[in-house]
Amino acid sequence: MDIFLLEAVVNGILLGGVLALLALGLNLIFGVIDVVWIAYAELVMCGMYAIYWLYAVHGVPLFLAAPMAIVFVAILGMLVHKLIISPILGSAPINQLLATGGLLFFLQSFATLLFGADFRNIGLRLPIIEIGDLFISFARLMAFSVALLGMVVLWLFLKRTYVGTAIRAIAQDREIMVLMGVDPKRVYLITSALGGGLAGLASALLVLQYDVHPFIGLSFGPITFMICVLGGLGSMIGGFVAAFIMSQIISVGGFYTSIELSYVLAFLLFIVMIFVRPQGLFGVKS
Amino acid sequence: MRSLLLAAAGVAVALSGASAQDIRIGVLYDLSGPLAAAGSIASSVGANIAIEMVNEKGGVLGKHKIVPIAADAQSKADVAINEAERLLSQEKADILLGVFSSAHAVPIAQRVDAQKKIFWITTAIATAVFKDRNLQYTFRAQVHSDQFGDASTQFLAEVAKPKLGMEPKDIKVAIIYEDGPYGVGVASSNETGAKKRGMQVVLKEGYAATSPDLSSLVTKLRRARPDVILHTGYNPDITLLLRQAREQGLRFKALIGHGAGYGQIDKLVETFGKDVDHIFNVDPVAAQLLDPKTLKPGIGDLTAEMVKRYKAKTGAKEVPPHASMGFNQTWVLLDTVLPSAIQKHGGFGADAIRKAALEVDIPEGGTVQGYGVKFYPPGHQLAGQNERSSPVVMQYVGGQTKIAWPTGLRTIDPVIPLPASSPYAAR
Repeated sequence: MDIFLLEAVVNGILLGGVLALLALGLNLIFGVIDVVWIAYAELVMCGMYAIYWLYAVHGVPLFLAAPMAIVFVAILGMLVHKLIISPILGSAPINQLLATGGLLFFLQSFATLLFGADFRNIGLRLPIIEIGDLFISFARLMAFSVALLGMVVLWLFLKRTYVGTAIRAIAQDREIMVLMGVDPKRVYLITSALGGGLAGLASALLVLQYDVHPFIGLSFGPITFMICVLGGLGSMIGGFVAAFIMSQIISVGGFYTSIELSYVLAFLLFIVMIFVRPQGLFGVKS
Repeated sequence: MRSLLLAAAGVAVALSGASAQDIRIGVLYDLSGPLAAAGSIASSVGANIAIEMVNEKGGVLGKHKIVPIAADAQSKADVAINEAERLLSQEKADILLGVFSSAHAVPIAQRVDAQKKIFWITTAIATAVFKDRNLQYTFRAQVHSDQFGDASTQFLAEVAKPKLGMEPKDIKVAIIYEDGPYGVGVASSNETGAKKRGMQVVLKEGYAATSPDLSSLVTKLRRARPDVILHTGYNPDITLLLRQAREQGLRFKALIGHGAGYGQIDKLVETFGKDVDHIFNVDPVAAQLLDPKTLKPGIGDLTAEMVKRYKAKTGAKEVPPHASMGFNQTWVLLDTVLPSAIQKHGGFGADAIRKAALEVDIPEGGTVQGYGVKFYPPGHQLAGQNERSSPVVMQYVGGQTKIAWPTGLRTIDPVIPLPASSPYAAR
């Protein structure tokens, strides 16, 4: 096999891991609370700034700064639910979309206010793994591995714990669960914290590879949303599979054609899918 | 006594604030969004310093205060267009000044020109803004993108034999660019310049500046094995490319950037440290790098004043070329064009300014960026563009910016190929 093609495939897989993690959090929240957090990538941005602020400005070691950022974004997630989602839970979906859309602009502007429009980064350069003529970025490999690990842990949590079972149950039938004595408000709050925590985890992995700026969300928001829809909104397995399909189209498609064209291909597939299977790859018809 | 009263009345009018004598200038840059830190804010600071300096002397000709009306294009073309409209129609600006992005300049120039209003471009470089559009009220003293691509390939052709030991025809170049009008414009002039000089173009590819991943582009560069990479991009994509290039073991003999993100040496050093040493950048020169002795008397002092004020305002260590662009173009407007419009053409209406602009004849060495100013006349393919502008090729060494080309302005013997100490050096 062509070493360069192999490199493109490997890079596609590594990118897929991070995209899958991003999609997971968004899907979890949609699946359980039935709300789309348009500002999800902006929460990731907040986490990246938190790590930058702790590590680069205040000298907190990275292995402490990362979990602190995860907790911070988890709390942010709960706040988003309490302050924005909860009051409008019963209103039309478009209102919820607009409210989280407003949050998106708020967070972008707030970050600009606090940190300026400048590009910041933690200035850390991780080693590179060389296998013959094949180069693999350690930062990306680590992001991929941690993303996979995070997904497995979440899966175990949902399958093996009481709270996890309650979350899945609510996702299946939100009316009946109230009769079974489950408090949906509490489940929603826990789910929002989990979704936020996943955004925090993603931020800890992305900050190793990308500069932080108030508009970093523009690079990841649209594609994450697309992956979720492609996989079937709310389907975690679907999001996982779709992330790797998209990342391979971008990486290998970009290798054979051009980066611009690879996105055209990705969007083309997306449009065709919407026509053929509007509920997404693994979605259930409603 | 009578004259004293008159003087007092004059002072009273002056103190009463805005008057019909004031010149209202809409100052439009990206103050937020991804373009803000790529040089747009630096340009706006430069432009505002020029306005401030003129106002401190009582305004244009000592009596026409400049009233700047700042607007934020938010790094979005639609916002830029709306803000331009608002500045001209609601804020009643006499002149629209600014814009960083060529993607904003192209549509704004079309609209503003159709309304017969003055659009004074300071920073956006795409040749496409003017080419074959026969604009009447839009002017740009700034360098244009065709000159960028030509400068880098001319520089390469000149150093090929003595530095690389290669004939230009043996040099393999790769051209990569962000796919807006700015990147596309520079890339096409790169291609024309390289072919004119017989070089081999082994890869030419564009990408969206917000792409989250450029690894497949890096892989293709590795496969194409170019000696030199000619790159045009903004900031997030440049840092992403350099980072992924290092991680994927991309090697080359030289990397020549073309402005925008490459003009922000402070930021690049912050991100990559020594790794950015010996990267080249084509840009209109940062005024403070020029030897004042090569310029018209007084210009050196003007530069020194701009640098002093820029550092005081921003706290930056290095003053980026974008600050000079914003300052220089605004200064030409306020110091040369407007006085002549008022004195010779009866005011600062669009037609008076247009006539004065077309008469501008500043020889080489007459501006802080070294080049002269004379605008191509109506009917010319590039009507409204400065025919005397020219960029330079700079090289970064130890966080310092040196001039490598043209030879007459050199402050460094260019280091090419990359020394072995660079992580990008061919091994």
